[in-house]
Amino acid sequence: MTGWHTLADQASGPLTAAQWKLVSAPLQGKIWLEGVAGGGKTSVGAARVLHLLGRGVPAESILIFVPQRSLAQPYITALRGWTAHRGGQVSVQTIGSLSLQMVETFWFLVAGDAGFKHPQDLPNFLSLELAQYFMTRAIEPLVDQRDYFNSVRVDRPRLYSQIVDNMNKAAIVGFPISEIGARLKSALASGVEQAHIFDDAQTCAVAFRKYCLAHNLLDFSLQLEVFRDYVWAAGLARAYLRGRFKHLIVDGAEEDNPASHFFVNELLQSCESALIIYDRDAGFRRFLGADPDSARSLRDNCDLEATLDETFVMEEAVAALGAGLGAQLGLPVKAERDADPAPALITEAHRYHPAMVDWVARQVDILVHERDVSPNDIVIVAPFMSDALRFGLADGLAQRGIPLRSHRPSRALRDEPAARTLLTLARLAHPHWNMPPTNFDIVFALMAAIKDLDLVRAKLLTEMLYQDCRLLPFAKVRSTAMQERVTFDLGERYDRLAAWIDRYIDGDRVDAIDIFFRRLYDALLARAGFGFHDDVDAGNTAQNLVDSARGFRWSLDFMSRYDEQIDLSQDYVKMVDRGVIANFYLRDWIADAEEGLLIAPAYTFLLNNRAVDYQFWLNIGSDGWSRRLFQPLTHPYVLSRGWPPGALWTEEDERNLSRETLGRLLLALTRRCRKAIYLGYSELSESGFEQRGLLLEAIQSLLRRYARDGQNV
Amino acid sequence: MSLSPDFAFTQGSLQNFADCARRFELRFIRRMRYPALETQDPLQFEKRMRQGARFHKLVQQHLLGVPAEALAASLADDRELAGWWQNYLTRGLSGLPAQRFSEITLQTHLSGRRLVAKYDLLALEPGGSAVIVDWKTGSRLPPQSTLRRRMQTIVYRYVLAQAGAHLYAGESIAPERIRMDYVYVALGAERLSFAYSAAQMGEDEALLSKMITAIDNADEFPLTDDERRCRFCSYRSLCDRGGAGRLEDIELDEYEDEEEEEAFLLDFDQIAEIEF
Repeated sequence: MTGWHTLADQASGPLTAAQWKLVSAPLQGKIWLEGVAGGGKTSVGAARVLHLLGRGVPAESILIFVPQRSLAQPYITALRGWTAHRGGQVSVQTIGSLSLQMVETFWFLVAGDAGFKHPQDLPNFLSLELAQYFMTRAIEPLVDQRDYFNSVRVDRPRLYSQIVDNMNKAAIVGFPISEIGARLKSALASGVEQAHIFDDAQTCAVAFRKYCLAHNLLDFSLQLEVFRDYVWAAGLARAYLRGRFKHLIVDGAEEDNPASHFFVNELLQSCESALIIYDRDAGFRRFLGADPDSARSLRDNCDLEATLDETFVMEEAVAALGAGLGAQLGLPVKAERDADPAPALITEAHRYHPAMVDWVARQVDILVHERDVSPNDIVIVAPFMSDALRFGLADGLAQRGIPLRSHRPSRALRDEPAARTLLTLARLAHPHWNMPPTNFDIVFALMAAIKDLDLVRAKLLTEMLYQDCRLLPFAKVRSTAMQERVTFDLGERYDRLAAWIDRYIDGDRVDAIDIFFRRLYDALLARAGFGFHDDVDAGNTAQNLVDSARGFRWSLDFMSRYDEQIDLSQDYVKMVDRGVIANFYLRDWIADAEEGLLIAPAYTFLLNNRAVDYQFWLNIGSDGWSRRLFQPLTHPYVLSRGWPPGALWTEEDERNLSRETLGRLLLALTRRCRKAIYLGYSELSESGFEQRGLLLEAIQSLLRRYARDGQNV
Repeated sequence: MSLSPDFAFTQGSLQNFADCARRFELRFIRRMRYPALETQDPLQFEKRMRQGARFHKLVQQHLLGVPAEALAASLADDRELAGWWQNYLTRGLSGLPAQRFSEITLQTHLSGRRLVAKYDLLALEPGGSAVIVDWKTGSRLPPQSTLRRRMQTIVYRYVLAQAGAHLYAGESIAPERIRMDYVYVALGAERLSFAYSAAQMGEDEALLSKMITAIDNADEFPLTDDERRCRFCSYRSLCDRGGAGRLEDIELDEYEDEEEEEAFLLDFDQIAEIEF
């Protein structure tokens, strides 16, 4: 075995002859590799990177390009695992990270031409939360004044996020934002009211863009446009990137968008080698602009086409189930005629939702404790993971001693106990905001802030001592019996907290909100006897809140140059309350445990791109499995590159889309399952409604056919 | 808990261990984030750190081909930074070899672990000298003996000798060809230079190997006895080691390197999502 064989084995385990052939292909040449999930394409990619390094290719000249972070994990793991490497570092990028770096680097050469009003000032890149915040600032007066969107029953942050979404779609597809309204109207407007809504969305998009140009703000759409239309076009970045990246690995091309494909295509003109990996049945991120058809165009610039269609994952019955469901829903897949899918399915019908959740926990218990299945090899998925469902599962599994991890990309910081506590104490310490915390908030904050303070005592303290928006001293509890009930030890710690806040209120200094959080954390909450002491989760959450607040402050400090004065701290807390700011935090993904059973929305699991032995599909009667999110201001297909101008989006289109989306999802799930799928079904949903969704219908039809026809389908 | 198997040692993590084993444990083994204040004047501290980061970015932009005058136009509102920039332009690059790599990362391995160095600038002439340049924006020139003992001086030279061949026409770089320059742009771009030698490299390797092995085998990570090292440590309250130190007492350059390194390692972990 040669050295690089060993390296590649380290990356991904033993590979087949077909995989080796691709891994060891000549260092010049561009390969298009497509196939089904579980065929070993990413293993080829990871092994190829190590092969390139092993053959002396400088690491700096290798670019791994992925649509989102989770898809790069096998590469990062492989590179980190190869401790013997001496040399430079391979780059791992997405279109977002790369365009940001390039725009930042070449900003002063392009900002004037790109239409920014202050080209001599630094750019201010906006995270999603900041984009929504500035969207609110830029257009809310307009929305209020002209009564925009008055017929749409969706809250403002969600409306604004759809306007941001429209602008992003325009940027990744490559049409001007001024065409958004016309495109939506021509395909979707069924009446005057609907047409007005799209006109409003158009006006708001243009207003937000003007605001950004006037204040040196770059949301993702503007960042991408500046990168493509100015930085890349100007030549400097092109020369730099083409000069640097001579070897390209693109994984998950079908999940990426046309702007990424444009960039990859440009690099293909100059690189020495490339491996473009394409999953034939995926494209799950369409709602984020993924365009598998656009990805396919990259094939034309490759020298060699290869296919890996033999799956190494599924047992026969699981394969039959996936193919059967796919065919049932109209996908062009061949149903497995010789295999019966029934052995791959385990199910039990329940009348009520909690009984279904309990059944799931019991089945997991049997797998783990009686059949020695590792929790890492089990995943529980549902179309959406509500807090109640997560809690029910987590509780049932914890009682049975089963470790779990949970992925949900949009956990609001204000829902984390440590963040809630800091926000409540901030309101208390800033009475001039006129945002007094409720009694409930104070009870919760005292419990979290003072170690060993239980709910009963926290309520007592709040009822007796929280008056006129201040925490009175413990000595104000008149009855000694009541003091003894609370205990003097807890009372002393309560006093330290109340005194700290009083000193802050009465002092001369008003801290920036992130500094306030840090000072309170440092001086009190993280000290012995208080709730955050030696608590890793509280520290991480507090740091996330500090980072979010600081990012907010930095963005708005910058705005003060342009004569917009704002009370930053108060505005921050307001925006967190409204769910605009700190509504999700990506770092939580990093901090998430790496071991244990995974509970996640189905698409989140798919984008982790790993296979497991057993899957649990919950709420199979829910139409959330096939239905698009309700987004009245945007549309992923109508605003895609392939949508014919002037065509109408019909109800039939919607039905076909539902079937196709569900078919692809089920095919993808089964291709990431080795042994069996447990179906969690209850007649009544979590909210008590009858459930008869498309997934349930498809499974029933498939099983009826097998029952009727035996194996001769 | 033990150190993750794929942990990469850097000068920053090793310096943390040298300063306080407990801090190393909290930061890199328990991965405990602890948002306490580093100094009594956090906004001034933050301003200085941002100025330092901005200066590093300016140099990178310049070395990637953005004209100096385009960059200088953006400095009108910060005279201090403009002064650093002028010093850099006047003397920062003088006498350096022509082949230059800015913001480049190299890695080697030692005692079964990865050892990573992120350089501000490498200026090389294949067959000739190999200069490591590290920009410092602090306004105090430390004693040469202090810098010589810093893990940055030890790690950067060692990693270049071990892992820089591909930048040096494929030839390994003899330690005697290597020099490390700390350039103090706030002090007229004054340089403190450290030559290298095979003997020094042998000593450095023994020291680094000993530290890495000690960390890997450690059962306990004791808190430092030297309480002066706690003044600017964010875990101070956890260890009950007093309040935040004064800004004028802090060696800002040390923090600047560490912040930059952490940002880089974080970037590698956190490839930006398409956020919409």
